[in-house]
Parts: sequence; structure tokens; C-alpha cells
Amino acid sequence: MLEGKLVRLRAVEMEDLERDFAWVNDREVTRFLSMRYPISRVQEERWIRDRPPNDFSNGAFFAIETKDGVHIGNTNLMQANPEDRKAALGIMIGDKEYWSNGYGSDATVTLLRFGFGEMNLNRIWLHVFEFNERAQACYKKCGFVEEGRLRQHYYGMGRYWDVIVMGALRDEFAKLQGITT
Amino acid sequence: MLEGRLVRLRATEPADRERVHSWVNDPEVTRYLTMRYPSTEGDWVWPVDGPPPGFTFVRLAIETKEGGHIGAVNLHEINAEDSTAGLGIIIGAKEHWDRGYGADAVVTLLRFAFGEMNLHRVWLTVLDEHERGIACYRACGFREEARRRQDVYRHGRYYDFVVMGILRDEFETLHGAAYAEGGSDA
Repeated sequence: MLEGKLVRLRAVEMEDLERDFAWVNDREVTRFLSMRYPISRVQEERWIRDRPPNDFSNGAFFAIETKDGVHIGNTNLMQANPEDRKAALGIMIGDKEYWSNGYGSDATVTLLRFGFGEMNLNRIWLHVFEFNERAQACYKKCGFVEEGRLRQHYYGMGRYWDVIVMGALRDEFAKLQGITT
Repeated sequence: MLEGRLVRLRATEPADRERVHSWVNDPEVTRYLTMRYPSTEGDWVWPVDGPPPGFTFVRLAIETKEGGHIGAVNLHEINAEDSTAGLGIIIGAKEHWDRGYGADAVVTLLRFAFGEMNLHRVWLTVLDEHERGIACYRACGFREEARRRQDVYRHGRYYDFVVMGILRDEFETLHGAAYAEGGSDA
């Protein structure tokens, strides 16, 4: 269990299925993710059941819970590379009532602390669509730096969009958080 | 066979294996590539029985017009919805460096990507220290779009990875229509 200020991150459980299934089929949620196609309940169930245990090579996939135990989303570190000591971060707050209240940034900071402090990563990066300004502001607050813009790299909602590359480095994050990682 | 001005791109053959094996084990050739480990003949770098080039993956050998095999190009992470692909290139025959063969191979592959595969955007990543490569890609029409800081660890330190991209309309402005009879630049 990774404790943040507003949330904790825990492993995914089969009990999460109905919520996960609803979120990954909610276009208001997935329009910000590169998830285009509807996902069936059985596919989602298989995904939870067959996921290998969290570790460096399988990636770390966590459910986000409020301190009251409400499951509001998921977050993960993926494509971890041991030589480069980098990984990509993904996050989804599926329960829209919890948007814009600091839960996403607390989950992100908590996962960054884990990535640097436990997995010994040096760099954590992500891609965010140009139209997702709320997320960009959140990531910047967490310590991500905008590193560039991939022009017309994503197609959705009938047109091409730029994709922003952001990266957080271990020493910058430590300085920002006033901790040693 | 894709015809460029200096090179042609053809499908790979089992006979290419030995040359590729020597290239990918030459530290001067792999210096700016993310190939760290010595690689055996016939492993992933050059699967002899791999699938033929198609929308999921394109790998082609680079030949001079005289028929000398000097390197390889590929399109990877090809995405149908976004119409994007990543481009990779290796010129293994070092005597052919700095003579325009790489650039011609890149332009020829871009012409194919836009004119035949109907892609919209092609991108690549290059180590920040690889100035020769960056200059070549710029000359081909790629623009520097992002700098992934400390993205690659090699030779005892972290390097930035520069992301470059070119869009189909930019290519056509620079090099003419993506489809041209005979394939070469006018």
C-alpha cells in the first residue's frame, strides 16, 4: 500500500471489475486516453485475472483509493527499462466526481515517489494530448517538465492533434518534494 | 524495389545476414543506436524467416545503384488510426557515410510511407550527440519536436533523445508529390 496525502495506491482486485469496466467504456474518461474501442466485460475481467504480479518488468499497476476507501481510478508505471532506468506513467481518474480535486496529482506524486524511491528509476515520462490542459497543469505541478510537442501525432474526434511529451527526473523531483529518493 | 537517386530499397535476403551481423557488432556503427548487447547472427536484428514487409512492420535493405548492400531502413510502431510510424536506419558500410546515401534512403522510404502506405506522419528518435544524423534528418525535412531528457543510458552516462517528425504535406512541399513516376526526386 502506497500512502499519499489524499489517496493510497493498492494492487488491483477482481472486485474492481465493474468500476473499471464502466470507466474504460466512458467516452468522457477515455477521450483523454489512447483508448478508442469499446472493451467487453469479459476482456476486462481477463485483463485483471491474467495480469502478472507487479514488478519491474511487468510494470506496476495500482488502483487509486481515497483515504475513505473509495476506488476512484487507476495509475501505472509501464515500459520500465533497466538500462535507461526510465518508465512511462499512466493515470485515469474514472470517477468523474473526483476530478479537479487534487486526487490525480496526489496519486501521481505518490507513484513518482515509488518509481524513484523504490524502483530506482531516473526518469519517468508521459504523453498527454494537447486538448487535455487540465492534465498538463496537474503534471507540471507534480514536477513534470514539458519537453516538446509531437505534431499531429494523435488522431481522434475527427482530426489530428499534437501530443505533449513530459518528463520528470529523479533529482528534480527530490528537490521539489524536499526529500531524498 | 523502391528506387531513389543513389540507392534502392529492396526486401531483405538470408544472404544479407553476415554483413548485418558484422555491422550490428561494430561499436562505431552502433555508437548512436540503442543496441548495447553483442548480437548473434540471425537474431531479432535480422530474422531470416521473419514476416514479409507489411503494414505492421517494414524492413528493407539499402543497396547502391551498383548493387552494393550498405545498410537497412525500417518503419516500426506503425499505427493505423494515427497514421504514424517510427523510422530507423543503419548505414553499416562506413565507407558510405557522409555521402548522401543515408539521406537518399530516408527520402525514398518516406516517399513510400506517404505515397503507398498512406501515412500522415513519420517520426524518429536520435541521440543528441549524433550531430551527423540530426543534420541528415533535417536535410530530409524532419523538424526537431522534443527533447526527452536523460532518456538513454550509454557509454557511462545519460543522453537526451531528440524526437523529430515530418508530416506528409511538408514532405510534398520539399520533395514533390509523394508518388512520382520513377520514384526519384525531380
